[in-house]
Amino acid sequence: MEWLDTFWSTYSTLVLTVGTNILLALSIYLTLACGLLTVANAAFMGIGAYTSALLTIHADSPFLLVLSCGALLPALVALVIGHPTLRLSGVYLAMATLAFGEVVRIVVLNSEETTGGALGLNGIPQRTSGFDVALAVGLALYVLLRLASSRVGRTMIAISQDEVATELMGINVRAYKLFVFVFGAALAGLAGAFNAHLTFFISPSEYGFERGVEILTMGVLGGTGSPWGAVLGGLLITILPELLRGLGHYRPIVNGMILIVIILYSPRGLWYLVRWARRLAQPAR
Amino acid sequence: MRLTQIVRGTMLALVVMVGTSGAAEIKIGAAEALTGNASQYGVPIRRGFELALSEINGSGGINGDKLALIVEDEQGKKEEAINVFKKLIFQDRVLLLFGPTLSNSAQASDPVAQAAKVVVFGTSNTADGITSIGNYVFRNSVTEADILPVTLKIAGQKTGFKKVAVLYGNDDIFTKSGYDNFRKALRELKVPVTTTETFAKGDVDFKPQLTKIKASNADAIVLSALVAEGAPIMAQARQLGITLPFIGGNGMNSPRVFELAKDYSDNLWVGSPWSVENPASENKRFIAAYQKSHGALPDQFAAQAYDAMYITAQALKRIKFTGKLEADRSALRDALPVVQWSGATGAFKFRQITGRDGKPAGYDAVQTAIVMSTKDNRYVIQK
Amino acid sequence: MLAQQFVNAISLGGVYALFALGFTLVFGVLNVLNLAHGAVFMLGAYAALQGVVLFRLPILAAIVLAMVVTALAGWALDRMIFATLRARQAPHLAPMIATIGVAITLTSVVEGLFGAENLRFPIQMLPSEAVNLGGAQITSLELKIILLAFALMALLLWGLKKTRIGCALRALAESPKAAALLGVNVEGLFSATSIVAALFGGMAGVLIALYSNAVFPHMGQPMLHKGIAVVILGGMGDIRGALLGGFFLGFAEVFSVAYVGSTMRDAVAFGLLFAVLLLRPEGLFGKAAQRRA
Repeated sequence: MEWLDTFWSTYSTLVLTVGTNILLALSIYLTLACGLLTVANAAFMGIGAYTSALLTIHADSPFLLVLSCGALLPALVALVIGHPTLRLSGVYLAMATLAFGEVVRIVVLNSEETTGGALGLNGIPQRTSGFDVALAVGLALYVLLRLASSRVGRTMIAISQDEVATELMGINVRAYKLFVFVFGAALAGLAGAFNAHLTFFISPSEYGFERGVEILTMGVLGGTGSPWGAVLGGLLITILPELLRGLGHYRPIVNGMILIVIILYSPRGLWYLVRWARRLAQPAR
Repeated sequence: MRLTQIVRGTMLALVVMVGTSGAAEIKIGAAEALTGNASQYGVPIRRGFELALSEINGSGGINGDKLALIVEDEQGKKEEAINVFKKLIFQDRVLLLFGPTLSNSAQASDPVAQAAKVVVFGTSNTADGITSIGNYVFRNSVTEADILPVTLKIAGQKTGFKKVAVLYGNDDIFTKSGYDNFRKALRELKVPVTTTETFAKGDVDFKPQLTKIKASNADAIVLSALVAEGAPIMAQARQLGITLPFIGGNGMNSPRVFELAKDYSDNLWVGSPWSVENPASENKRFIAAYQKSHGALPDQFAAQAYDAMYITAQALKRIKFTGKLEADRSALRDALPVVQWSGATGAFKFRQITGRDGKPAGYDAVQTAIVMSTKDNRYVIQK
Repeated sequence: MLAQQFVNAISLGGVYALFALGFTLVFGVLNVLNLAHGAVFMLGAYAALQGVVLFRLPILAAIVLAMVVTALAGWALDRMIFATLRARQAPHLAPMIATIGVAITLTSVVEGLFGAENLRFPIQMLPSEAVNLGGAQITSLELKIILLAFALMALLLWGLKKTRIGCALRALAESPKAAALLGVNVEGLFSATSIVAALFGGMAGVLIALYSNAVFPHMGQPMLHKGIAVVILGGMGDIRGALLGGFFLGFAEVFSVAYVGSTMRDAVAFGLLFAVLLLRPEGLFGKAAQRRA
């Protein structure tokens, strides 16, 4: 049992970060499954983080309320900007969401009195616990798995394959896209709220381009065919640097190369690889 | 089967005995940025630690015991800093740890050390809000709040500036913190500011801001930047025909400014407890030893790390090790605040500050600043 | 001050345009968001720097070295990564993720070899006599940079319009299948595009390195942001758009610093971007039709 204690003392942050990264990967899986390439999730994460942190610091609200607001505010913002932005498609959408993300980061940077600007917010009490994160991840995964195998899920795949045909079938494509965008924003905001209450300190630079790219990488690397892909992607990206720690100076180089190798040999993501391996293992019929 | 078991058991016992015999080792940890952008500071810091370590061990260690340093790479990222801190504290079970390199990371990882009741000793964190975390947080990096007023006063006397323009990096906690301190000091000295401009980390073109500053008719430019941006700023300013003096914060105290802004580096004023030109004997010895091992002049990051190791050694020499980790860690924390040391960075002692809740918290550095100005690729000390 | 800021804007815009050209070429023809373009930009700067410092080459030869190195990188990128993914019918985001991996690897290798600190060209290399143009100071180096950028862009535009390869490239950008059916060497042209794009990116890297005298491993990152902004403004895949978008961004940034305040500089640039995307998503010059997946 002492082994377990030491393990948890050393690795608790890592484990909890796996959880928040899975939430982030799920948020982007959702949008990718619908054929939407959005890079705004990092900004939504930031909005969730700052909202929840400010609530805790200034109002000392109960954690559940803090988390809910952390998920709700980004969702509202997504609703507002979703309308005009989702008219775009493909790379244009990606770029618009990227630009939006940058604007959010700059606004946070320049509103020093509220957000602390570049100095960030520090002294955020640690309220995130393994139980909360596990519950949130479990719930999100359950909902998304059910969604994926439902009619809603199939509609989303149809939209990603051919938007025009789906629209012609009488589906309100815009409504679906907005739903997915807003739900994704809520998940990302929740992840941000958890993360803020895990690391004592947040600053605007954590929610910019690099974070957005990391989230995207988790989603694509894991595979967009299923929510399990997001789980794999989130897990891998979080744990890989820790596994490679022994490599010292070569760590980032190997990190980059592993990314390249995985995507080259399994372009549809790790989930595809897992499914393929499982199929191989099944006895021939 | 039984025979092999016995042999294996004996070998294991032998190994354990050999491993633990001999002089005991005192383990301390260091979490610094060894890869990534912040490694330009983390690597000299590590070198400073290792130089001091080899000198201390070479002259008897800690009352006969050898000091061992476990260095981990925190990549300049706050999550990594937390992970590395936890590993050093709970897995490697170090008595104390140094680092992290960046103030950003310190805000996230120092609370971990405080909660685990392990001393964390920063040698390069100068932003506000770090030592106020708790009474296990120490640092020997003098904050800008203490140095900048001195720099401004002396530079003002020598150059006679009446009004200044301010240029700072607004997306980095270090340069922003420096700006806040500059602004406070300028207000207290009643120096009017003609215009305030900003840049971002990674920018390479500063002509728009500098052009605006030139047009504002300031007598001097107050610059809160790290050398990476600061040197191009000086070079581009001179190219635009701006001959005003630059008054820099801590970040500009680096011999690299001479390489990076060659021929344009004159007339820069900085204040720092450490100067490569300081003729004190401890400093000269340090510089010579560093040059011998690494073939280059040290910078203030290396100097502060070097002194921090010595300061820690002084405290370690005074405690009686009980072999129980918590007791020893706590004894170290109690022994550290009273250490006074004169090293490469001059006379040093700690000063306790009060935390956010009004209770006594961590320990900041008390050192006198040396104000220097650059001329002909050298820092010239100004009295 | 206006004259000086004008000159500042043109030099900055020229470099942005050069960088964006390579970026938009790869998107237009290979349909890939090449997030390694920033790393190639950085590679060009380091290649030229090492040429001068290690091999003691004169500056022009060092620039040629940089072009060779980045052209090789562009070729390797296409052959080893893009071609493999094309053969496997990879989903269209996969190449982008691969380029992220390439960028991380390249940056870390360079950092491992040369350290994370800023390096710079030896001072004698840089002609720094300033010329005075109507109240604005501009060094002869900056003048050369601007002229070079314009010359390269003109060359590219001419090439695309008037040469056979140029026409084949434009056909390829429209429809790879049709181009293949018409006998165009599709794979060869993809490689050629990647090479040319990398060349431009590397060139921009050398020029910025000379202009700002700062070479460091992460110098590609901020440039990539700007490059993305430029191609959105000008229209993805459109060469003239990249050119004009580059200057537009240069002017927007410089003048917002001069007249609005430098803190809001990035906000202005990205705010403008956002506005353009909402009002005219194809950019100032892009084609209105949507690309099929």
